[in-house]
Amino acid sequence: MAPQPTNTSWDHEYNTLRREKLFRDPPTDRSAYPLLQEAVNPHIESFDALFGDNGLVAKGLADIGTRLFLDGDERAPPTGKNRLRIKCKGIHLQKSQLPPTNKFAVKNREILPAECRERHVSYRGKLSATFEYRINDGDAKEFTREIGQLPIMVKSSYCHLRDNSPAQLVARKEESEELGGYFIVNGIEKIIRLLLVNRRNFPLAINRPSFTNRGPAYTPYGIILRSVRPDETSQTNVLHYLNDGNVTFRFSWRKNEYLVPVMMILKALVETNDREIFEGLVGSPDSKGIENTFLTDRVELLLRTYKTYGIYTMAQTRSYLGEKFRPVLGVPDTLSHYEVGTEFLRRIVLVHLGNINVTEQQDSDKFRMLLFMIRKLYALVAGDCSIDNPDAVQNQEILLGGFLYGMIIKERLDELLSVGLRGALREYMRRYPGRSFTSEEFAKDFPIKIFQKTNENVGNALEYFLSTGNLSSPSGLDLQQVSGFTVVAEKLNFLRFISHFRMVHRGSFFAQLKTTTVRKLLPESWGFLCPVHTPDGSPCGLLNHLAHKCKIMTSSVDTSMIPQLAAELGVVDTSSAATDESVVVILNGRILGWCHPSESRRIADTFRYWKVEGSHGIPVHLEIGHVPSSKGGSYPGIYMSSEPARMVRPTKYLPLAKEDFVGPLEQPYMSIACTEQEVVSGESTHVETDPTNILSILANMTPFSDFNQSPRNMYQCQMGKQTMGTPGTSLAYRTDNKMYRLQTGQTPIVRSPLHNAYGFDNFPNGTNAVVAVISYTGYDMDDAMILNKSAHERGFGHGTIYKTKKYTLKEESRTRSAKNVTKMFGFAPGSVVKAWTQTMLDEDGLPYVGRMVQEGDIIFAYHTVSADYSGNLVNRDGVTKYEKYKDSEQAFIEEVRLIGSEQGNEPAQTISIKFRIPRSPVIGDKFSSRHGQKGVASQKWPAVDMPFSESGIQPDVIINPHAFPSRMTIGMFVESLAGKAGALHGLAQDSTPFRFDEENTAADYFGHQLMKAGYNYHGNEPMYSGITGEELAADIYIGVVYYQRLRHMVNDKYQVRTTGPVVATTGQPIKGRKRGGGIRVGEMERDALLAHGTAFLLQDRLLNCSDYTPSWICRRCGSFLSIQPTVSPFMGRKKTVNSVRCRNCATRLDHINDVDLTKLTGEIWEDGQGNQWIGGEDTTKVAVPGALKYLDVELAAMGVKLKYRVDPKDAPRKGPLLQAKWDVISTGKKANALPPAVAAA
Amino acid sequence: MSSVREAYQIPSSAGAAGASGAASGTRSSAFDIDGGASIHYICGDCGTKFPLKRNDPIRCKECGCRVLYKERTKRMVQFEAR
Repeated sequence: MAPQPTNTSWDHEYNTLRREKLFRDPPTDRSAYPLLQEAVNPHIESFDALFGDNGLVAKGLADIGTRLFLDGDERAPPTGKNRLRIKCKGIHLQKSQLPPTNKFAVKNREILPAECRERHVSYRGKLSATFEYRINDGDAKEFTREIGQLPIMVKSSYCHLRDNSPAQLVARKEESEELGGYFIVNGIEKIIRLLLVNRRNFPLAINRPSFTNRGPAYTPYGIILRSVRPDETSQTNVLHYLNDGNVTFRFSWRKNEYLVPVMMILKALVETNDREIFEGLVGSPDSKGIENTFLTDRVELLLRTYKTYGIYTMAQTRSYLGEKFRPVLGVPDTLSHYEVGTEFLRRIVLVHLGNINVTEQQDSDKFRMLLFMIRKLYALVAGDCSIDNPDAVQNQEILLGGFLYGMIIKERLDELLSVGLRGALREYMRRYPGRSFTSEEFAKDFPIKIFQKTNENVGNALEYFLSTGNLSSPSGLDLQQVSGFTVVAEKLNFLRFISHFRMVHRGSFFAQLKTTTVRKLLPESWGFLCPVHTPDGSPCGLLNHLAHKCKIMTSSVDTSMIPQLAAELGVVDTSSAATDESVVVILNGRILGWCHPSESRRIADTFRYWKVEGSHGIPVHLEIGHVPSSKGGSYPGIYMSSEPARMVRPTKYLPLAKEDFVGPLEQPYMSIACTEQEVVSGESTHVETDPTNILSILANMTPFSDFNQSPRNMYQCQMGKQTMGTPGTSLAYRTDNKMYRLQTGQTPIVRSPLHNAYGFDNFPNGTNAVVAVISYTGYDMDDAMILNKSAHERGFGHGTIYKTKKYTLKEESRTRSAKNVTKMFGFAPGSVVKAWTQTMLDEDGLPYVGRMVQEGDIIFAYHTVSADYSGNLVNRDGVTKYEKYKDSEQAFIEEVRLIGSEQGNEPAQTISIKFRIPRSPVIGDKFSSRHGQKGVASQKWPAVDMPFSESGIQPDVIINPHAFPSRMTIGMFVESLAGKAGALHGLAQDSTPFRFDEENTAADYFGHQLMKAGYNYHGNEPMYSGITGEELAADIYIGVVYYQRLRHMVNDKYQVRTTGPVVATTGQPIKGRKRGGGIRVGEMERDALLAHGTAFLLQDRLLNCSDYTPSWICRRCGSFLSIQPTVSPFMGRKKTVNSVRCRNCATRLDHINDVDLTKLTGEIWEDGQGNQWIGGEDTTKVAVPGALKYLDVELAAMGVKLKYRVDPKDAPRKGPLLQAKWDVISTGKKANALPPAVAAA
Repeated sequence: MSSVREAYQIPSSAGAAGASGAASGTRSSAFDIDGGASIHYICGDCGTKFPLKRNDPIRCKECGCRVLYKERTKRMVQFEAR
């Protein structure tokens, strides 16, 4: 009997033995947690779709097509020149392997991801491209070039870990549940963010005021259609409405915008006439559309204004377009204008309907789609249809990382074939003017020498993209941003890691937008984007997370049967502009036909029935968006889509009681009941399988989240990701810069079944703590919490930080010139090795593994070497240098890793040392429950002084009751109850939200469990003071709550300073904790101190501890800048300032005519130059801020003089003098009302 | 347990992790003979322990693995636990 396959269904129970077995013997068939893999799959599948004969890159190469080059003089006409046609036939990616130069690895030449992490290198495989070229009409020749090393997505089909069982993964130093979906770049795990973009091939009606900036007569109305080629690259086409009724077609090509009259495109696409266009827009003469004079007027104008061009036939129009766009498209000179025009239509106009080898039928499809877009535009302007919201998920799809990766590969190859090769050929022709394409030397040089000159390293470009997230692209790839495409997949804890893969970003362009409309939570997002899981602050609403049941399609589903079925159901070709007469039926942006509005519902319903049934060849993942007719609502029609990058989610289809997949476009027009009870008969067609399906993975982990005030659940989603948890089990093979680990992780008593299904018990994230809600000490104000000292000693919340540092002796240089070894690890031979170094370093010059290091300790020794006559590396100076440990915190050497080169022939040049920093909880560390209730540990209270219950239980944690009333986290109370009951009975408690209601309350359910265990139904208990032993006056709410330790720890944050480094210009303290700087006392802090009247404190903070500068000033002229110390001619070099004089007020002796020294009063003094002066003695020392003197100097540089009045008596008075006779001033109202000076005036 | 280094060393006054040996000056040990002493490393792939001299390329003698780990020290490691 074959062994049972690994069970993959999970409930909420502990499953201790099952998990233990899974952990000890990882399954050899499949993972026990398939949901985890499914969460990441969109990334992997999108990467897998790139390669292969029918992959996206192959389709992209077909779009690039053949490039033609001519030899000879560039300025000469093309006739008589030799032609070189070249195309890229395909690219081939290899799995990550050792280079053939490495002769040492015998049996295993694979480079596994774990090795890349350990060696801080990229996980990549060799990429090669096959080119085919022919000269004139000769035979086609093929050659293959290596075009760099392409980073490979982990667990994609080009990864060694693909389809590995958990047992294999463990053997390969991975997690047993390794998910993949990321790249490894320089040892760092990077993922390409999912981006929300406009829905493809769907004409969006837009009202955007900025459209008016295009030129005069432009209105805010437009139709945007993001047309997607088969290779997933896109080209956005926009129709603009002009206020005279005209329509222009806009597109952007290589970051430039172009405007073309739409009539010209229409006429170029097919051989047509004005009547056909008129009837295509308005409808046949017997249809109702004719009665719409708004439309007919404008169409008439559209047709009339085009007459000015005088272009009539298709051939004429194409030639005209070709002539105009020839310089833009970069087409060879040999093409005629007509052919360039055809190329223009192929590459730019509605590319989803025909991109390669465009047939007449496809051009006709484009024509009809364009007519439909114009029709929708006129309807929008007339107010017959509403605008489509581009910020709603309804009109969005997801740009998958793999697809974006493919776009960049395609564009790089395109650049290589056009710009790169042209440059290389030009240079070659310049160097060897005699050689033509037909010459023998050329044939020899072309595949090697000339290609070397091109910038052919496609792999490097992609590696740059991944490591920086910057897109360097000449076309912009139809995207609105150029940076921020990739993020580091931080493995802080597993929740954070998995969230990265479910993260959907709206685009960094929208982050700068002043308006907040894009951030709004819209009802359309229901079930696709989690309403809870978005950060607060600047990325709020822009950075969303997918609901855990939301899937992203990564391949097209088969729709070959649909056009025929539609025709059978009554879809016809004739149409009318009146939407109450005919509505459109569209499949993937191609018009199948038209039908009567009354028919449309029947057609959509029939399709849906068939699709769920699985009959008639309609796939279940097809989206059938039936937009019903309405008064001024969305433009009606049936919009079907089967293409990748859509979001879909499972629901239950009621007529068949089977699973149906619903897309975001169709969902707003459907009636989906939340629960079975809410089904309205005759209206509801679907019901949710579970109300928790709308929540993301993380939001589902919040227990009883339906009891909480909603922002608290958002906070928990944030804090869950900042928890010091368990990043993984393969910690020894990871080299993350910083890794947090909780030593005493536990499984929560209160959890939902999804906790098990996602295998979060493999990555515990917190500890079950006995929590009493009581104001017991003075140390629990403002969200402070008290830890039981004994709980702390038992290891509550004990954590560790692992820091990995890479030390390399190689000179970091971009130009790989310095390849030879110049330094080596270890003590220089023959050098004096001090004994104290031997207590720190081993004989190889590296630290002892397990040793403690403190600030200033040495962690390795190295010396310089150079090659002697026989090539041996010898040290010549006999000097050993040491590297110091610079962090202030003590750490332990956990691992020392010697990293060899890929070739396996280099001596030790790079090591990586992993430091372990123990972090037991200290006062000031941050903790939180799973309900957005964070707090800071304020005391470790001795166990003897803690309150205790009747059964002798002491709390591990005490929190203040004031944490609850305003925050309303009732879920935490329920968790406390459930946790207590679960602990007493040994149960795992199911905490799925939406399971209790008003009749069956959670408090009652868990209260009865408590009663059965002999406890109070409400969860309160009488408690006794640990100090006096008296019973406390009130019963205390005490229970078991799962507590997370957050990664924010005082040890990383505390900042103290009395004196320290200062900014040279102002003398104020520098910024930054790392450099020993100060914390700014800002305006508001100053205000607070002022308001409290704490003048001395204020002076201490703002002056004495800051830029207090005693400085000399001249009382007479009031200047800081003119003073100078006198220099005694007799004192020599001794620097004693005996006196300070003002140079400005002094008189230079040699400037006084006929000096009579005897008549001068005052002391004669000397400056540094030996000049003698007299006067300027009225100087004094004042304490001023350094910034003031700086200001003085700056202003002096601008020609502004500041004069300070040192003494109050120097101050000039404004207005008349004060009246000296006090009795003159009359007492009473008048005197009180006005100050004396004013009153006198 | 072939080499002396493998075995547990009783902390001598010179070698212990404490501060006592700091003043004793230099110690000429066996390793500063040219070519370097051989210290054992653990292969990151197959786990074999093998000696490696100073100028040897970093790779496992058995499998050619490019990552080597330094062994945990056999000396006594003693800290004040607080």
